[in-house]
Amino acid sequence: MNPVGVEPYIVLSMVLFLLGALGVLMRRNAILVFMSVELMLNSANLALVAFAREWGQVNGHVFVFFVMTVAAAEVAVGLALIVNIFRERRSINIDDLQQMRG
Amino acid sequence: MEWLFLAVSFVAVLAAAMMLTRQNAVHSALFLIVNFGCVAFLYLMLDAPFLAMVQVTVYTGAIMVLFLFVIMLLGAETTTDTSGRMRWLGLAGSVVAIILLLIFAFPIASDMLSDERATPLDTSAQLRVINAIPGAEAEEFTVMEMGFAMPLVGTVRASVAVDALDESMPDRRIENVVYNDSRENIRRYIELAAGDYTLAVGVSDGSYASGPVFIKDLTLAPGSATTLVVFENAEDLIDVGLLSDDLSAPTVGKMRLTLFNAVTDRQASLVEVGQYTARRSLCDDSACNTLIPHRRLIDQLPAGEHISIELDEGQYNLAFVDQDQNILRTLAEYQTARGRIETRALVREPGVPGSQASYRATMYDAVGVPAFGSPESVGQVLFIEYVLPVMLVGMLLLVALIGVIVLARPDALAQAERRRINRRRRVNRPLVSVISQQTGSDALRGEYLAKLTGGADDGASE
Repeated sequence: MNPVGVEPYIVLSMVLFLLGALGVLMRRNAILVFMSVELMLNSANLALVAFAREWGQVNGHVFVFFVMTVAAAEVAVGLALIVNIFRERRSINIDDLQQMRG
Repeated sequence: MEWLFLAVSFVAVLAAAMMLTRQNAVHSALFLIVNFGCVAFLYLMLDAPFLAMVQVTVYTGAIMVLFLFVIMLLGAETTTDTSGRMRWLGLAGSVVAIILLLIFAFPIASDMLSDERATPLDTSAQLRVINAIPGAEAEEFTVMEMGFAMPLVGTVRASVAVDALDESMPDRRIENVVYNDSRENIRRYIELAAGDYTLAVGVSDGSYASGPVFIKDLTLAPGSATTLVVFENAEDLIDVGLLSDDLSAPTVGKMRLTLFNAVTDRQASLVEVGQYTARRSLCDDSACNTLIPHRRLIDQLPAGEHISIELDEGQYNLAFVDQDQNILRTLAEYQTARGRIETRALVREPGVPGSQASYRATMYDAVGVPAFGSPESVGQVLFIEYVLPVMLVGMLLLVALIGVIVLARPDALAQAERRRINRRRRVNRPLVSVISQQTGSDALRGEYLAKLTGGADDGASE
């Protein structure tokens, strides 16, 4: 049924996670940072599903389900915050947000 | 399949890279949608159709539409990304990414290089014993796993009574089952670790001279369900028929019926007749030149064999027929239930031998296990094992919803600012003294001020 083993999926998940991490670190646009976080969550989900397939356990799918739910909540709140920040400062460049800098 | 995986993963990585490098945020979001679509496809390849659909609806549907809405609402399609102040972060990001890559790659590489393969956890198999010996309603069956070191010489072992066998050998007694016809008992499977077994199945009261029946090198595959049907063969010895099933759910809307023929001198056929018939033969006349109208579902099943068929949902009038077209047993208005896995053993009733013998088709049913990753299987785990987390996540979503509503009120910031200003202006001193302080002169003199500040000030003012 599934001739591709678990390793290629884990490698792919790793690559996607790294791309997401790079995005978080290098992009300064808050929305793009958020999208990179989504990419990282997705790659973690992919690893979970691959392992669930490998071990024959549906629990991995359930965890993916929870991750998706939390991601949805996080995106909703985060985007609302971004909208508010944009309203106040006319910018969503995260370098401009330095109020809490010591 | 491999080229498919390679193609999809290539597109996924490409889309992710494009997402990172685009200056236009809308383009980035669209590339992220492509990436999510690829991941959904990979979920399908990983036998997770339910999650694939959730991925498409929740991620590429809801979440990304939310992103696009916000981008367009803010008009922030192109924000300059190089503020200059923190350009060193890009370099630091690359360094951190390389370190992460090494950290992640190490276990994968070491796993790929080593020969050892981890054994999956879910290696249990199911085993049950069905008593199909006429008249032995409540006899005790002993299923034992034999020690591997022992030579299995059936003729020698067969003379040993089961109980003696149990004491003399280091065998592991798997189950000592008393089977009567109560369905609860019959449905129950014994859970065993998957692997190769040598089993001895016997009737413990020793009424059968042959002793236990040995099943050598029975392979119980992971996730499979094996049914041992114990029946009496033509030489009046007990025999064991093996039925293997993976307990997978039948085709949607159908049920699976497995028939085991435990009547040794008959070849059993299962036919569907138009209506309930009390006759004892399918023959329309005594010479059996014509048969009454019927539809053959199972044709000429030899003794000790089994066959599985799938039946559509509905009502049937079934009859079990032997090779001479004699009706052995009828099942009138037999109602099928979708998703059910039913095993029926056709056995001869004890007592009357010969042509007057009666037969019955005892039913042993089981419930199919939904396919891996299907909505049904995920739902079962989700709402049985993980009810509390589901509740908590629901609560979290509710809190997030309220939080977003509070955050996104159009005048939330303005109101907060106004409240702050109001709080600063609110003073406890009388207004007149504030005015007098600010103007440098008394705003009011005389009685009103005296009344306002109380009698103690009377003397001072005059």
